[in-house]
Amino acid sequence: MTPATSHSIQPLLRKLIRTGIGRFRFLMGTIGMGVAVFFILLAVQTFLNFNELLHGKRNENETADFLVINKEVTAARQTNKALSAFTTAEIDSLRQQPFAEKVGQLASSNFSVNVSSYSDAFPFYTDAYFESVPDEFIDVKSEAWKWAPGQRDLPVIIPSFFVDLYNTGMAMSQQNLPQLSMEALKLLPLRVAVKGQGREAEWVGHIVGASDRLNSILIPQSYMEWANQQFGYQQQKLATRIVLKTQDPSDPALVKYLADRSWRTNADKTRFSKVRTIVNWIVGIVGGIGVVMLLFGLLVFSLFIQLTIAASRPDIELLKTLGLSRQTLHRFLMQQFMPVHLVIMLAVLLALSGLQWALQSVLTGQGMHVAATINPYTVAASLLVLVLIWLTNRGTIRQYLRQ
Amino acid sequence: MIISLQQVVPTPIREKILARPSDVWNAQVELGGTHWTKLRAPSGSGKTTLIHILWQLRKDYSGQVLYNQAPANSLSDDALSAMRQQQLSVVFQDLRLFGHLTARENIELKRRMTHPTLYPTSRVDEMAAELGVQHVLEQQAATCSYGEQQRIAIIRALMQPFELLLMDEPFSHLDKANTARAAALIAAECRQRQAGFILTDLDDDDHFSYTQQLHL
Repeated sequence: MTPATSHSIQPLLRKLIRTGIGRFRFLMGTIGMGVAVFFILLAVQTFLNFNELLHGKRNENETADFLVINKEVTAARQTNKALSAFTTAEIDSLRQQPFAEKVGQLASSNFSVNVSSYSDAFPFYTDAYFESVPDEFIDVKSEAWKWAPGQRDLPVIIPSFFVDLYNTGMAMSQQNLPQLSMEALKLLPLRVAVKGQGREAEWVGHIVGASDRLNSILIPQSYMEWANQQFGYQQQKLATRIVLKTQDPSDPALVKYLADRSWRTNADKTRFSKVRTIVNWIVGIVGGIGVVMLLFGLLVFSLFIQLTIAASRPDIELLKTLGLSRQTLHRFLMQQFMPVHLVIMLAVLLALSGLQWALQSVLTGQGMHVAATINPYTVAASLLVLVLIWLTNRGTIRQYLRQ
Repeated sequence: MIISLQQVVPTPIREKILARPSDVWNAQVELGGTHWTKLRAPSGSGKTTLIHILWQLRKDYSGQVLYNQAPANSLSDDALSAMRQQQLSVVFQDLRLFGHLTARENIELKRRMTHPTLYPTSRVDEMAAELGVQHVLEQQAATCSYGEQQRIAIIRALMQPFELLLMDEPFSHLDKANTARAAALIAAECRQRQAGFILTDLDDDDHFSYTQQLHL
């Protein structure tokens, strides 16, 4: 009585339980399921690609994360400057929005400012104003960016478009003005004359950098607070501009929030919002169709399992009579129906990988970067769908074997 | 394996059963163990019904059936499958072969159902040779004669371990010589397993040296 090196019972079960019936329906079901899974995973991958385009490190545009916001000047506001200022309530409300990471106020000078040149070779004289903002909002990093009472040197940050305007416009139009590099500008001392409340004083201004982010002439906050006390016409501080740090300037919620209040910001930065809304819609529709198709696919496969079990009912009953356990039958049926789903899933992931690779090639040519391979979340989503299919099949088989 | 019957009466033929004396129906009786039991059962006495109740194919009866003290209705599906694979075997009167499988496949199906298998596949050929059905092994069961099918069903029943073998008129379509060969094989297999059997038939016979004779 040597126990035989057993052959499996599976080939015999395969002969008895005819899984091959309704081959055409099975093929249609498989194709439908494939399209459904493709749509779902395509939606996931598209969403992730778009996110990468918006937030990916390689696509990051630092200025995009900071918005300077001001109120639109209307006829009513023209006559009352205070109406153009943000109230504390407005700032607090903005601060509580989900898209707002940080909110800072730009404080403006409350005294008159004259800036002129010490040099005869490069003469100029202008009225000016200053603004200040907490350091964390400033994109220029400089050792010289500090001021304490008694310090004669005053660091200044100018907007970079000033430099461009000067070099490309002003210097070209006036014969006696040279073009200046950023390095040269940093070396140029400025006479900063301040007047107010009957007092006057002078500082030596130094440009320490140019900001891409903030379109204003900035001085350190410590100087602003001190000078406003010394020379300020009015003690009440008005926040006419605020800086918003946000992860996503194209967030439709943010754009709507600003539009609802007629607040203005750099439209260039929020322009992406419309595209994004459209993409969100498309992704949602494709994903939605995918989910509906998946539900129908699951239904078709459930019916298919029912059909198979019903068609082989007498043989299944006899197998059970002879002592075959329901577990063995269950396992056998699962092994008949699950592999096709695995194949579908792999085929879809392969197709998506091809698409992604092609997309990456095309976008790279246009200076945009997405990953060359599909996102791990897409793979995770495919596993999730697979688990759903597995659970549905298991439930159907269990239910119909019991009957 | 001891099967205890406590006042068991099949519901559909209740009146008919109760109208006549029986050693089994509506009685307290223990079957199995190492007994080689002959159940003499005239037509209409519920012979096949009893085999089906003992195999738990039918549950339309009153009274209690216990397997080694365990009530039948407490057996789970899995426990029942395990019992049919390891402790009980059966030759049905209507044989219950898969008609579209070959004779060999029918036997193999049972052989491979138990883990580990009791016999190597060569034993199938040995038994088939012993019973004179080797030539039909590759033939579809449905195309075999009833006598051949009967012997295939007997070989199938012997392919698994068991403590008790149920047989419902197993030799009804066999001539004397073939009956003697089949009985010899069954006796040898039961002896090897130290197993008992319950055989039902219409008349008295001397195919085996029975240790228990009951009247249904």
